[in-house]
Amino acid sequence: MNIKKSKIYILLVMLLLLTSGCWDNRDINHRVMPVVLGVSKESEEEYKAYLQVPILQEDGIKTQIITGVGKTINEIVDKTSANLESNVDLLHIKVIVIDRAFAEEGVKDLISGIMRSREIPSKALVAICEEDMDEFFKKMSQVELSDGTALLDYFEKNAGWNPQIALTRVWHVYRSIHSYTKDVAIPIIRLGESTLIEQAGSAVIKNGAMLDEINSDETLLYNAFQGMSAHGKIEVLDEGSVLILDNGLNFASRLENELPILTLELQLEVMILEVKGDPTIEKIEKELEKLLKPRFENMITKLKDSEADILGIGQLFRKEIPRAQLKDWRSKYYPNLKFNLTVDVTIQNSGNLKEPGE
Amino acid sequence: MKGLLFMKSLLSEINKSIGKNDDLYKWSQDFGNIQVVLVGLSSLIDFPKTIQLLEGQIQTVRHSSEVIVQQLHKIGKVKSEKKEIIEAIFEGELIIFIDELGLVISIDPVPKTLNRSIESPSSDNNIQGPLSAFNEDLSTNIGLLRKEFSSVELQVSSYTFGNSQKKGLSLLYCKDQVNNKLVENVTKQVESNLDKMLYTIQDVTKMLGLPKYSLISSFNTTESPQEVYSNLVKGRVVLFLDRLPYALILPSTLWDMFAIRNDENYSFVIMIALRLLRVIGAITALVLPGLYVALVAVNPEMLRIELALSVAKTREGVPYPAFVEVILMLVILELIIEASVRLPKSIGPTVTMVGGIVLGQAAVDARLVSNLLIIILAASTIASSTIVGFQNSFTIRIFKYNTLVLASIFGVLGVFTGLFLVCAYIASKTTLGIPYLSVKGEMKSG
Repeated sequence: MNIKKSKIYILLVMLLLLTSGCWDNRDINHRVMPVVLGVSKESEEEYKAYLQVPILQEDGIKTQIITGVGKTINEIVDKTSANLESNVDLLHIKVIVIDRAFAEEGVKDLISGIMRSREIPSKALVAICEEDMDEFFKKMSQVELSDGTALLDYFEKNAGWNPQIALTRVWHVYRSIHSYTKDVAIPIIRLGESTLIEQAGSAVIKNGAMLDEINSDETLLYNAFQGMSAHGKIEVLDEGSVLILDNGLNFASRLENELPILTLELQLEVMILEVKGDPTIEKIEKELEKLLKPRFENMITKLKDSEADILGIGQLFRKEIPRAQLKDWRSKYYPNLKFNLTVDVTIQNSGNLKEPGE
Repeated sequence: MKGLLFMKSLLSEINKSIGKNDDLYKWSQDFGNIQVVLVGLSSLIDFPKTIQLLEGQIQTVRHSSEVIVQQLHKIGKVKSEKKEIIEAIFEGELIIFIDELGLVISIDPVPKTLNRSIESPSSDNNIQGPLSAFNEDLSTNIGLLRKEFSSVELQVSSYTFGNSQKKGLSLLYCKDQVNNKLVENVTKQVESNLDKMLYTIQDVTKMLGLPKYSLISSFNTTESPQEVYSNLVKGRVVLFLDRLPYALILPSTLWDMFAIRNDENYSFVIMIALRLLRVIGAITALVLPGLYVALVAVNPEMLRIELALSVAKTREGVPYPAFVEVILMLVILELIIEASVRLPKSIGPTVTMVGGIVLGQAAVDARLVSNLLIIILAASTIASSTIVGFQNSFTIRIFKYNTLVLASIFGVLGVFTGLFLVCAYIASKTTLGIPYLSVKGEMKSG
């Protein structure tokens, strides 16, 4: 190694240290890490943001709510960051709660802003709050033994999530704004009476704005359509209730005279949880099919009317409809959709007891 | 008479150059009717026994002086040059001056026992395996190996290095297995550098023309004959340097960090598990300190929120940035490791204890470092010791800083950049034409 070569190496190391821009790295204990961001409209032009921050205490974690008003989310965060002793780090935001009125008005700009930002993760979940936001977040911070992650756990698949809740992330919403054929459902939450949060179905979102609502039973079917309803429970009114073990969906799509025709077959593998009386297996299966078919049909009809394709049926017709006409899917094709639905229920097991009716 | 004069002048010359050494022993002795002078170093030669032996051999032949001289010729070598004689003296030979005939003969005497006996290895510990280890004596080492590998395939070539001082070096290889080009290379280097002086492994490295600034040891060193045997069979070349109780195995490859022959004394599954454990150890030691800095200072979003909060809690009140904190503790740890190597065995435990208290409790209590860091560093230090060969664990310990610095700048990306650089570095290394990353099968085709 001659001197010239070692000089170059020293220069490279100096460059690495001086130009890397790592001087503003902040250690974890100097960051405020909000986990929930709530957004509502304060006035025509101004947002009001709520940051739910877990604060470390000697005897555990307490929740603090920081609020701010500003024209953009970044402005609010900047302002609060300047006032706090630590730096606000939005990278840990897991849930974004949007005020219902704001959602109905349309959240296109907010969602694009979040997607554009390198701070707020695009994999954060989106939820709509029916409650007054001030009230909602006040309650959040008061919960006993809350470690600040209650709302987050509510949506965690390995914690509190269950298949009646839609699971939609920021990038899903962003995709739906820009897609011709796919919309999303966002879960609606409100404060519960005995529990912290209560779910109130899902909002149907089209082009970033809330159009309609589906209830939690329909959300379960929505999730079944996406292939993630395992372990959802269905009440069969007269006979008892069952647990969905697995679900599958078969479909055939074709276009006849510019009319989309869809044949759908929803297969559910279920397990019996409770029965009333002594119905036979066949009867339970039949009852269940009888219950689910109209429920599903009603939902699709409702969605057709609102021209919001949250099930992504348009995706199934992409191969039939040319690209140029695809943008008319929601307005021209979708409302005229003809569908033929069969629900096929198989009872896989009857729990620890023998099958009823035997 | 001419011989007598020659003898006198030779003796006085030798006296002049080395006579001031108090262990130079001169003794006039009569063998039958021949008068001889015995010269040698009393520190290397067991004189009473040697003389007894000589007398025994010569007394049995009660013949004329010619016969005795003939007898001496048989057991020794004739020397005539002064330089030659002095060298022979320092190599521990006994010089017999026969005044009348003007003849100098050097013979191998009974040496003083200056070597340790064969002991168990001190740095290559093993639990279930042979325990004899090499020691400082070259011929003992080769003997040990001959016992381990009794075959005509084992080829031993010995060389003597140095001018004023002689140092023996032996080159061993398995004729059947070895890559001929490698032997050729090594032999060429050895033969063209016979005048160089070899004291340390660094000298050997230089003599063989191996890179001086390499962070990876070109040699794999071991104390165990079993290990050497397995390497010879794999086609490696082994060097023994006199007075160095290690075998130097050439070339070393990456896999030597993780596998030793002794693993094969356990069942196959356990062998795989052990080697896997070492691989995990190496990666842990490399990555863990860097990952800590990356996750705490640069990319906390990678942590789950619950974990992030508890990590933040352990760091509450720590005055230094994570990088400084880690460097501080790492330096102390390295000091402890170095100190426990240096210190006499009786003081060693004290250092460990003091180090343990300082690192484990006081530093955390004083809120100088977070207690998570202590766990990380302990894990990393323990992990770096799972690697085979002390020289390899040095390598890992140095590479760790590379990942650490990059991690403190680029975060998790930096950790991977660091790993990439390490991979690139070890991929670029070759020893005498054989890549460091070469695997078993390629050795022969070379």
